[in-house]
Amino acid sequence: MNPTQYLLEAVSVLAANRIRSILTVLGLIIGVTAVIAIQVLGAGMAGAVGGILGAISERTFVVFPSQQANFGRATIRLADLQRAKDEIPNIVGAMPAAGQRVVASYAHAQRRITFGPAADERFATSTPLRYGRKLSEDDIAQGRSVCVLSDQAYAKFGMVGDPTGSSIRVGDRRFTIVGVLGSDKAGILPLNFNLGVTIPYTTFERFFVRGDSVPFARFLMDDPSKTEQTEADTVNWLRNLKGAHIDYQTFDRKAFSKGVDGVFTVITFVVALIGAVSLLVAGIGILNIMLVSVAERTREIGLRKAIGATRFQVLLQFFIEALALSGFGCLVGLVLGVTIGALVNDLVIVKFSGVVAPIPWLRSILIATIFTTVVTVAFGTYPAWRAATLDPIEALRYE
Amino acid sequence: MNDAQRAIDVFAVTKTYSLGDVKVEALRGVTFSIERGEYVAIMGPSGSGKSTLMNLLGCLDRPTSGRYLLDGTDVSTLSDDQLAAIRLKKLGFVFQGFNLLARTSALKNVALPLFYAGVGSRARNEQASGRLTEVGLGDRMDHKPSELSGGQQQRVAIARALVNDPAVLLADEPTGNLDSQTSEEIMALFEHLNEGGRTIIMVTHDEDVAGHARRIIRLRDGRIVDDQPTARG
Repeated sequence: MNPTQYLLEAVSVLAANRIRSILTVLGLIIGVTAVIAIQVLGAGMAGAVGGILGAISERTFVVFPSQQANFGRATIRLADLQRAKDEIPNIVGAMPAAGQRVVASYAHAQRRITFGPAADERFATSTPLRYGRKLSEDDIAQGRSVCVLSDQAYAKFGMVGDPTGSSIRVGDRRFTIVGVLGSDKAGILPLNFNLGVTIPYTTFERFFVRGDSVPFARFLMDDPSKTEQTEADTVNWLRNLKGAHIDYQTFDRKAFSKGVDGVFTVITFVVALIGAVSLLVAGIGILNIMLVSVAERTREIGLRKAIGATRFQVLLQFFIEALALSGFGCLVGLVLGVTIGALVNDLVIVKFSGVVAPIPWLRSILIATIFTTVVTVAFGTYPAWRAATLDPIEALRYE
Repeated sequence: MNDAQRAIDVFAVTKTYSLGDVKVEALRGVTFSIERGEYVAIMGPSGSGKSTLMNLLGCLDRPTSGRYLLDGTDVSTLSDDQLAAIRLKKLGFVFQGFNLLARTSALKNVALPLFYAGVGSRARNEQASGRLTEVGLGDRMDHKPSELSGGQQQRVAIARALVNDPAVLLADEPTGNLDSQTSEEIMALFEHLNEGGRTIIMVTHDEDVAGHARRIIRLRDGRIVDDQPTARG
């Protein structure tokens, strides 16, 4: 009893009824194509949106008071921030987290622009540089009057070519430009996490913090994998300083990505459900055609049994026919789904977002294949069983 | 002669069908033997039980009571799958309507029983082509049934019935769908096979056809009413 022989037999039967076979698997082809293409596009979209996360450093988090009423009393003293790296595990630094809009001028251009403190490049965004360099540890340590511009600021000031070495003025302070970031239009969301002008936070503390404390603080971590524990330690540390009745909350890259992931998990689930329904319908199509096929071939089944085919042999034959049918449909669907998914992802999503997201090809193909197999086994078994249990005498008499 | 040498031994076989509350006694106690190499026709009007007897002899059905030995094996109490194995090894069927697989070559039709016997594809084709040559269709192996005449189709069916070298060849109205000249050809083929030692049992209602056998068993109302050699017997 050689399965290959059964497969050849099944293929020759299906090939003899070409049109009917193709019509039967059409539903399956569409279902598999849809399931794969949609999963690929879902991953592409999630990647495109998630790409914006690159603009948020994973080694920092922001702490702010959680109750509006305590706002004034909850402010964090700069002196405390300087001690943070010695007193909280995994914290290597802390700085004010205060962006503000200021009027800055470059050459003859005066522009309103976002302006704020930043740490050195180890804690900077992953946005690539267009010119120069990011802020260095030395810039921070020395509290230099240097700045890095975003590409939007670069455009706003009407700059041409490499501006590093020249300076911009904020109030009565001059800052030498050391670097310009590249495009931060990561992802398809119209969000921008980069300030227009960033200066070393030590410089910012010296010239732009009024009084000795700030409402928001950014903490810098050595090991981003311990973010959760470090945030809890930091909040406890602050509460010990300020009194237990004042509470703080934190915001980090994970909190943002959780929101994005949540949305896409729901979308993927709903879409997968639709795909599952379409494959279910395709399975019912196979069930229907296989039942018709069994009825149409009743005499043939009677003959096969009369010449000595056992029930199992007949069952196997019809089951393998259903498997061959759906295997063919699944294969065509895989090719179509991968092709369509890849084309739309490349030509639309990647082109618009500029983000090449990792596509779970293997997972998509596995899901579609496993689901097709389950559907085929579920719906192919009954017709095969019907064929196997036909009474040969009745079947031979069937007109 | 002892039992083991007989092709068929039927002893006190009955068959009762239940149609709802009504019991139909199709066979009411039938006893007979068929030696190897015999050529027997079973005749009887419709409702006489000849089809039921044929189904029992063909191991497609089991008797309600009594014993049936085929080629020395008691098959009266075997399971469906055991009966299938017996049909595969010991029986060859020829039907009125040929029952060939459409869109399938003569060669593949003949090889079909060997497929279920687990014979490899090369050996299948060799044996099948041998049988087709034996029934005079050596030059028609790749023809599909629709490309063959009725007589040729029945020859293909006979080749298929012989491909497993059965103990008994069972023919159910083998000439029912054929004109008289083609019928004669098929009868001549049966005689030739019988002369070569084949045991043949044929159900028919046609006296002329039955006359080609060497013995006629006549049934009426589920009982044997006559069992005689023919002029040829």
